[in-house]
Amino acid sequence: MLDAVLLARDFTYTYADADRPALRDLSLEIEPGSFTVVAGGSGSGKSTLLRAACGLVPHFHGGVASGELEVGGLSVRDAGPSELAAVCGTVFQDPESQLVMGTPRTEIGLSLEHRGEPPGAVARGVEEAALALGIAPLLDRRLESLSGGEQQRVALASALAGRPQLLVLDEPTSQLDPVAGDELVWLLRRLNEEWGTAVLLAEHRLERCLPAADRVLVLEDGAVVSDSAPAPFLEWAAEERPTLATPAATLFARAGLRPPPVTVREARDRLRAGGLLPAEAEPSADRATSEQRGWRGVGRRRPAAALEFRGVWHELRDGPAILRGLDLRVEPGERVVIMGRNGAGKSTLLRHARGLLEPTRGRVERGGEVALLMQNPGDYLIHERADQEVGEPGLVAAGLAGRGSANPRDLSGGERQRLALELVLAGATPAVVCLDEPTRGMDRGWKDELAARLGRLADDGAAVLVATHDTEFAAHLAERAVLLGQGDVIADGPVGEVLTGGWHFSTDVARVLGGAGGALTPDQGAVLLERELVQ
Amino acid sequence: MSLVPTYRRRPTPLHAARAGIGICYCAAFLAVGVLYSNPLVLGGALAGLVLAATCAGASAELRSGARLALPVAVLLVVINALVYREGNTVIFRGGEVLGRRLDVTLESLAGGGVAALRVLVVAGAFALYTAAVDPDAVLGLLRRVSYRSALTGSLTTRLIPVLQRDAERMIEAARCRPRPPRRGRVVLAVLARSLDRATDVAAALEVRGYARARPGRGRRRPWSRHDTRLAATALAVVVTAVAGKVTGAGAFVAYPSLAVAHGPRELGLAILVVAAGALPFAGARARLGVAGA
Repeated sequence: MLDAVLLARDFTYTYADADRPALRDLSLEIEPGSFTVVAGGSGSGKSTLLRAACGLVPHFHGGVASGELEVGGLSVRDAGPSELAAVCGTVFQDPESQLVMGTPRTEIGLSLEHRGEPPGAVARGVEEAALALGIAPLLDRRLESLSGGEQQRVALASALAGRPQLLVLDEPTSQLDPVAGDELVWLLRRLNEEWGTAVLLAEHRLERCLPAADRVLVLEDGAVVSDSAPAPFLEWAAEERPTLATPAATLFARAGLRPPPVTVREARDRLRAGGLLPAEAEPSADRATSEQRGWRGVGRRRPAAALEFRGVWHELRDGPAILRGLDLRVEPGERVVIMGRNGAGKSTLLRHARGLLEPTRGRVERGGEVALLMQNPGDYLIHERADQEVGEPGLVAAGLAGRGSANPRDLSGGERQRLALELVLAGATPAVVCLDEPTRGMDRGWKDELAARLGRLADDGAAVLVATHDTEFAAHLAERAVLLGQGDVIADGPVGEVLTGGWHFSTDVARVLGGAGGALTPDQGAVLLERELVQ
Repeated sequence: MSLVPTYRRRPTPLHAARAGIGICYCAAFLAVGVLYSNPLVLGGALAGLVLAATCAGASAELRSGARLALPVAVLLVVINALVYREGNTVIFRGGEVLGRRLDVTLESLAGGGVAALRVLVVAGAFALYTAAVDPDAVLGLLRRVSYRSALTGSLTTRLIPVLQRDAERMIEAARCRPRPPRRGRVVLAVLARSLDRATDVAAALEVRGYARARPGRGRRRPWSRHDTRLAATALAVVVTAVAGKVTGAGAFVAYPSLAVAHGPRELGLAILVVAAGALPFAGARARLGVAGA
């Protein structure tokens, strides 16, 4: 066997001022050329492991480390991040905070220049990395003019330019839309195969990266609780940690089928081979839109909408129109997801709903207060203590009772989001609750909690309007889906119809079952499969 | 539009020129602003800057720079008018305030106006530099002298728009709170966010080998026709300005009576500086080999 590119022996690490270790007695080996996914809930130690691999732990963050962790033959306790940079490339979540130069060309060349490479070698390294990642046409563009996906590719190219033995990536797709996220993962797989670079990737959306992985490590409380290939991992997850199982694996588990599939294609092939692929069926009758459920009364006044857009245009003074005569009506208590590619106008629509923007034409009518939680909940948190943000009742509602003295910046992503949500709700139920991409970087446990909280708000009469790329969350939460394209509504209907009628805006279960029966979630799919099994 | 001028790549000779030449070109206007107090020459320098910024597609950035400098310029005029009592031509008698006569003279107003004009020229030169000279190329230029300082400068240029976007988002988020917080609290939060960003950037630099950065060697690049034209223009302006200064051209005396030299030498220098704003861009419609942003 080749020497491990990462070797840990009883490695334990505790952050400065923390009362318990973030990594506990970690012992593992990562082989050269392998593709390993690190899974686990928020706060499980995934990021700390990756930061240890690149030397930021303990050198940058301080704290106490014991045991041994070697990367490319260098001990992270002796070698700092700059020494380890020669053997380990690193990509973080947020592209904006990790790009330091002005153009991709200078950005990619920076780490090579830091190594003292001659100009010719720097130029060659830049060209090769850019060609490998398909960003050669972008080399002289300004970084701020690139999309998030393009910026993340530049960050990846910068990490790869020095041809490191190991590449560590901490949720690199969490800030990207699904298309850019999928592209990035497949790019990683290709580079892993062609360049032989070992990949260590932390991700929440396992269905996105398991098909590319050789191995899955699961961390809990800083310790490895599972270490296996994707298929055995899914079997283990279906039994032991259902929140980590992919939708397709959960579908199989709920239908009593074994073993769980790793990819959508495998799931479909196995169902087809077993004659279990359900025929095309009508969407479930219990999933109706406001149009269907709503007002059909004759001669009676239609009740007031919670929110109504009437021919709303948003035209930039020196740019294109973001919204183009948009009409949309949302009823009280309705749960609606707004979907569409980046730039379709989702965030602009929510800003209009809250009144942060004024339509250039048309009008927005509100049935009462509109609460808006934008993409980054940290933007809302401006005090030094959590209890200064919302007070004790808000903390209880956010599930943060007893943590009032915590600095909001030290809370996890999910905790910050719950706190910010309570902050905009301010203890009352508004007429409309709008959330913009609320599940980015959240594990499934947090997503389930968020869906439950939003469900309670809808039950109390608030219309819930969520802009998201997360089809699984949309299927779990909503009864109606609105697809935006070019600033206007291109599809509006029951979520079971809209999310089964296409390929991109579709859940994994709908892809496996080919949209049959309008089934979107594993539970709905399992009901269909059980019916097929009985027949 | 950005509050602070920031670099944006454009297909113009100034953007296409090497950083050192771009710096020299902007510095030529700066030199005129520093060397001369003559309003005719300073006016020419300002007009030259406006022309250069227009030709380089950086008018908006120049306006941003002017907006930042204007309060200082106005303050200079007001303070000069109120503090200096020299000058023979009283244009306003304000009586006695705190035992001191508050007379405003034409000369003190003109003296302040010239100082303000100099501030505008200096700010304009910096705005043009920020908008048209690639900070990455400057970093490459300066890395042999002081790499870390150069990188700090480059980072500042890169992060200003990021921090500005952070601030805009946080202000918007504050508007979404049921009880909007005090502005001071939001400003503090924005500052705290910028520190978080700084920490993230520091971590990113660490994993890119910053701590072991070694002085690099720049790549040799042949001079382009844009380099030549801009360098020649900058040289002509600086040589003429220094020669004029040495020979006593461009005199300006504010007190006790205004005396502004406005002979052929001053006029010539002013025309040269105005022309310097346009000459390097003339006939540059040929392909520049610059990617549009």
